[in-house]
Amino acid sequence: QRISTSQFDLKTYWTTLIQEINHKLDEAIPVQYPQQIYEAMRYSVLAKGAKRAPPVMCVAACELFGGHRLAAFPTACALEMVHAASLIHDDLPCMDDDPSRRGQPSNHTIFGVDMAILAGDALFPLGFRHIVSHTPTDLVPETRLLKVIAEIARAVGSTGMAAGQFLDLEGGPNAVDFVQEKKYGELGECSAVCGGLLAGASDEEIQRLRRYGRAVGVLYQVVDDMLEAKMDKEINKDKKKNTGKSYVAAYGVEKAMEVAEDLRAQAKKELDGLEKYGEKVVPLYSFVDYAADRGFGVGDQVE
Amino acid sequence: TIETQKQQPTFNFKEYMIEKANYVNKALDEAVSVKNPPKIHEAMRYSLLAGGKRVRPMLCIAACELVGGHQSAAMPAACAVEMIHTMSLIHDDLPCMDDDDLRRGKPTNHKVFGEDVAVLAGDSLLAFAFEFIVTVANRVPPNRVLAAVGELAKAIGTEGLVAGQVVDLSCTGNNTNVGLPELEFIHIHKTAALLEASVVLGAILGGGTDEQVEKLRTFARKIGLLFQVVDDILDVTKSSEELGKTAGKDLVADKATYPKLLGLDKAREFAEKLNEEAKEQLAEFDSDKAAPLIALADYIAHRQN
Repeated sequence: QRISTSQFDLKTYWTTLIQEINHKLDEAIPVQYPQQIYEAMRYSVLAKGAKRAPPVMCVAACELFGGHRLAAFPTACALEMVHAASLIHDDLPCMDDDPSRRGQPSNHTIFGVDMAILAGDALFPLGFRHIVSHTPTDLVPETRLLKVIAEIARAVGSTGMAAGQFLDLEGGPNAVDFVQEKKYGELGECSAVCGGLLAGASDEEIQRLRRYGRAVGVLYQVVDDMLEAKMDKEINKDKKKNTGKSYVAAYGVEKAMEVAEDLRAQAKKELDGLEKYGEKVVPLYSFVDYAADRGFGVGDQVE
Repeated sequence: TIETQKQQPTFNFKEYMIEKANYVNKALDEAVSVKNPPKIHEAMRYSLLAGGKRVRPMLCIAACELVGGHQSAAMPAACAVEMIHTMSLIHDDLPCMDDDDLRRGKPTNHKVFGEDVAVLAGDSLLAFAFEFIVTVANRVPPNRVLAAVGELAKAIGTEGLVAGQVVDLSCTGNNTNVGLPELEFIHIHKTAALLEASVVLGAILGGGTDEQVEKLRTFARKIGLLFQVVDDILDVTKSSEELGKTAGKDLVADKATYPKLLGLDKAREFAEKLNEEAKEQLAEFDSDKAAPLIALADYIAHRQN
């Protein structure tokens, strides 16, 4: 019955969860009139290759404190909706001007800039609505749901992910640290915290989840930057538009590796403080190693 | 308003409007302060504090008070609906949408701050509306706050503002296929949905019964449509200067409007009919307490800009 960390099969845990989350997301956005907006939303939310890291982290954090998986699913889906919304807006011509995302044409490339803006505008509130209408109230008290809503709203807002995107466009000295924290750390933090809130974790535990999620979110991106830099070198292609804002471009590979190791240690240290929950902490623990090492392929490869 | 005063001699609508608008403006000013990064917050404040008429917050507060709630129970929601209204205006004005240069008599958000910041300021106002509405949780039972969050979310997305804008965009320059059903769909979603939410949020947070909430919902739908019919009429009868936005734009863009489909006289008759039907919904409420909503309906029907 007991599983040790090394034996824990994150791949199975993760792929099973992804299937369930994909199914629920599919159900959450049925196509109605006017069709094109629903199709634009579905295109990004249900894109192949999405690794569903925010929802998986949310479910794992909820289960760590004994919360039921069904209590976390609506919030997990909401996280993926707001995540998709912010990616759609980040890719717009007036923002990062990215014609592709996860190896597919980006939303505005297919549906037009106007539809892409509206798809984002619709996905943010759909996330909140989904939490309110789908969370079983016998499993989660209403006061906890209100905290979850405030947490997600804060994370995507003007001091969170929107601030990260703004600084990413604006640049400036030392912008890269702030951008990484806000653009990537914020969603990791929010995902872990929401899981804890749903399960009724204590304030101190929420603080641990906050630091843990933020570290994993940034770690994930720093490693992405390193992989991208390595690939660019191998195939000797021209630098991408965004490389100037990557960790590696700003600080070099060696420093990036150092930072990654620090973040890994920091994230694990936070989990050590939750050791009283025993093996339940394992999914969150192995999540850290996955972010650092990319030990297995989840869904289709992004790169 | 002369007519209103005859009906409700004890109620001074002008005073009521000024008092509530001041209250709302102060709350909005405090709610969205300049934080880091300053530029996004300045962009949010630029449009939010640009001197709108605050019709939505007033509807929210009036509905709350009508069912016996205190205005403080409705205040975060009143601010939230104005934030949502503002974000939808910022995004609708973008070059890829309606491409408007002028709003409330001032250059539009993207003209001042750039398109990227305008998109982010809109997104931030949307998010903040939800963060802010939850702050009422210490004064109002959590089940009511959650219901309000659900109503607000519904009013914005694909069953509300966004749906209206999608159909509106697809109809522009294509007016031969636009009939009254499409026109009503656009307005019910683009305008009426948020006015409905404003009233319904106030009624829920004020502790109204399900029956009261539904009566007020019907009232709000009627005045929501009324609002747009009047807007269309003003667009063809007033100058840009009088409106504080580009007049006649609907005609230039070849958009379907009520005056164009019904003729100006019939459009005015339709507006009167909607106003009457709206006020019928308030018949069973205490007439003193219903006075602000009745006056607001008349104001929406007879406004000049």
